[in-house]
Amino acid sequence: MSTVLTTTPTAPAVTPTEGTTTVDRISKVVRLHLTSTWGLLVLPWIILGSAFAITLAIWAILTASLPPEDGLAAGDGTQFNGGVLSILVYMLVAGVTAISASFPFQLGFGVTRRDFWIGTSVLFLALSAGNAVVLTLLAAIETWTNGWGFGAHMFTAVWFDAGSWLGTWFVFFAVQAYFMFTGALFGTFYMRWRMNGLVVLWIAIGVLTVGAVALLTWTQSWPALGTWFVGLGPVGVAAWSLVPSAVFAGLAWLALRRATPKN
Amino acid sequence: MTAVIDTDRLSRRYGDVHAVDDVSISVAEHGIVGLLGRNGAGKTTLMQLLTGQDFPTGGTATVFGERPLENARVLSNVCFVKESQRYPDEFKGRHALKAASLCFPDWDAAFAAELVEEFRVPVDRPIKKMSRGQQSAVGVIVGLASRAPLTFFDEPYLGLDAVARQLFYDRLLADYAEHPRTVVLSTHLIDEVANLLEHVIVIDDGRIVIDEPADELRERGATVIGPAERVEAFVAGREVLHRERLGGTASATIAGRLTPEDRAAARADGLELAPVSLQQLVVRTTGGPALGTETDA
Repeated sequence: MSTVLTTTPTAPAVTPTEGTTTVDRISKVVRLHLTSTWGLLVLPWIILGSAFAITLAIWAILTASLPPEDGLAAGDGTQFNGGVLSILVYMLVAGVTAISASFPFQLGFGVTRRDFWIGTSVLFLALSAGNAVVLTLLAAIETWTNGWGFGAHMFTAVWFDAGSWLGTWFVFFAVQAYFMFTGALFGTFYMRWRMNGLVVLWIAIGVLTVGAVALLTWTQSWPALGTWFVGLGPVGVAAWSLVPSAVFAGLAWLALRRATPKN
Repeated sequence: MTAVIDTDRLSRRYGDVHAVDDVSISVAEHGIVGLLGRNGAGKTTLMQLLTGQDFPTGGTATVFGERPLENARVLSNVCFVKESQRYPDEFKGRHALKAASLCFPDWDAAFAAELVEEFRVPVDRPIKKMSRGQQSAVGVIVGLASRAPLTFFDEPYLGLDAVARQLFYDRLLADYAEHPRTVVLSTHLIDEVANLLEHVIVIDDGRIVIDEPADELRERGATVIGPAERVEAFVAGREVLHRERLGGTASATIAGRLTPEDRAAARADGLELAPVSLQQLVVRTTGGPALGTETDA
């Protein structure tokens, strides 16, 4: 064994193995997130599947117990179905854990904060886009099967009814991105400032919400807001949601760039 | 000779606490370095600064000639194995190894598989459900099989039994001989690793108190063994770090270098001389109790 160890003055830089390209490093972060496929690729669909199965069961019970004409009316009522919320809420939680668990893990394995955040954002957008494709297919099947034989709506609930399949895909995509980046915002604030960060974030959200409500009330703008929303339609609202999503992503990066992966 | 790690007055303060205080060290390429010190002395913080996980409040850290912070080129050559490494909740042992293969360019999958056998790690079990020792073994395997040019082991052995620890030391030494690299081993089981270390850095209260080749450090003191009264006569007037007595035989550890005359005198007295234990030296230097109390072993 060599015994070359002594303290030396600054020596010329050692040449470490060649640095990889940015694209390589971003794709590495994505693959690290997907090392275990369970949390991001399997569990979301188990959760959605369960919500869907329960919904189908309820429809079946209603259909069997109501006279035919009432059954049809009940089918119309399902256009306000919120079953898809199950996967959206799960993706929000997945957005939190993609930060809270994977940030300390990946930094421990030599990933930089910058590469981590770019890779994680790319993953979130890809998951939102991919999941939106599946949800759009389910919406199409729902339409072709006349609401799974019950005249009911889950994937074609009014919120997602954009008039075209591309529009529906876009609504699913934007809404999921919104939920994931919201989760990431909470995850990064926790990573950077722990509980205090979350408390400040909640207070900020509370103040902004109350402020907006007060403003709308004093200026008597509620009807105008309602008209504006209805006028926008699902695609318009989804497009506007990209603005807060981008703001959340920016805030998340500001929090993460000086975060330390301590437990 | 090239320096892999170089710090200049590196400091990290948290409020009033100086976790790392004015540290200027240099670690040359290829070797096993002991980073020793008590709990809370600043070992982990120092390693976090060197691996870009924490931000210095003063001074600079240089690793492979560059700042480690947010530096992918430096960090892909560094492996930092820590007892507290977090993994995503659903990670099984094999996921950690898969991830390591993505992150470390010199990863040796065959070697990792061999180590999994030897350490008997249940790789299909979620890491969260593994025992402390099995979790530590995962870290040790990542650290060894990554073959990173600079590897940090931060107290890697928690929960590992004596057999597994010995296995770790053996494998580290054997693999180091075949694939020379720079290994920084942070531990407080000092005597266990003493023979592995070529260089010793001792940190106490954030400050570097010892930064010396291990051989020179061992010469800083000596242990004298022999008939009790002759040992007492020999150590009279010297600083005694530790005394032990068994019947009529005594051993005493003294501080300070022995001159050749001292050694000759001791031998003439029928006293046996042994190198000092690294642990006792470190304990003394870092404000531990003076081990001069009589112990009847």
